[in-house]
Amino acid sequence: MVPIVVQYTILIKKGNENMKATKVLDAKGLACPMPIVKTKKAIEGLQSGDILEIHATDKGAKNDLAAWVKSTGHELLESTEADGLFKFWIRRG
Amino acid sequence: MSNKVAIIASNGGLFDAYKVFNIATASAATDAEVGIFFTFEGLNLIQKEASGQLPLPEGKEHFQEGFKAAQVPSIDELLLMAKDLGVKMIACQMTMDVMNVKKEDLISGIDVGGAVTFLDFAKDANVTLTF
Repeated sequence: MVPIVVQYTILIKKGNENMKATKVLDAKGLACPMPIVKTKKAIEGLQSGDILEIHATDKGAKNDLAAWVKSTGHELLESTEADGLFKFWIRRG
Repeated sequence: MSNKVAIIASNGGLFDAYKVFNIATASAATDAEVGIFFTFEGLNLIQKEASGQLPLPEGKEHFQEGFKAAQVPSIDELLLMAKDLGVKMIACQMTMDVMNVKKEDLISGIDVGGAVTFLDFAKDANVTLTF
């Protein structure tokens, strides 16, 4: 189990190096529906193609953000999870 | 792509308020047009005096701590958020008359209307919910 986790982390780290977030949203500690509401507000201030990085601790945020991009026309580029911290990278459509 | 969500809020407890405002703000943040019709006890959710002190169901008072622990936003915060996101809120005129609730007892930004006002909004909604 351990080797798999390590490998996963390395891959994600590699991916992130190329992903320059235009803006970082701290949604840690917020419960549903606030991570989504804050994400909507934050992405409104960005240009098409910009990347929003979101940090959240709400366990529901993973499925919610995946569903949210489907309805709003943005793109979920990547998500990571470590020690209860979820990170997401969304490109504005 | 456009989504329209019509909600009827007809109960006035804290749980009811969360059901209504969580769905409403989540939908509005997902680019849906959202309208809520507040009727009977649902009017509590938008009354100045009542909205900040809605009761938990009897015997469920201990959930108060759970709300705190989960850092769930307050109803007042959710109300502000709903308004900010453009959620249309309609108070039922008939129940206001029955329960002697005046427009000035309601928080700002509420429309008062009858059933047809809501039905006109809801007629082409693709999601309709009742709480």
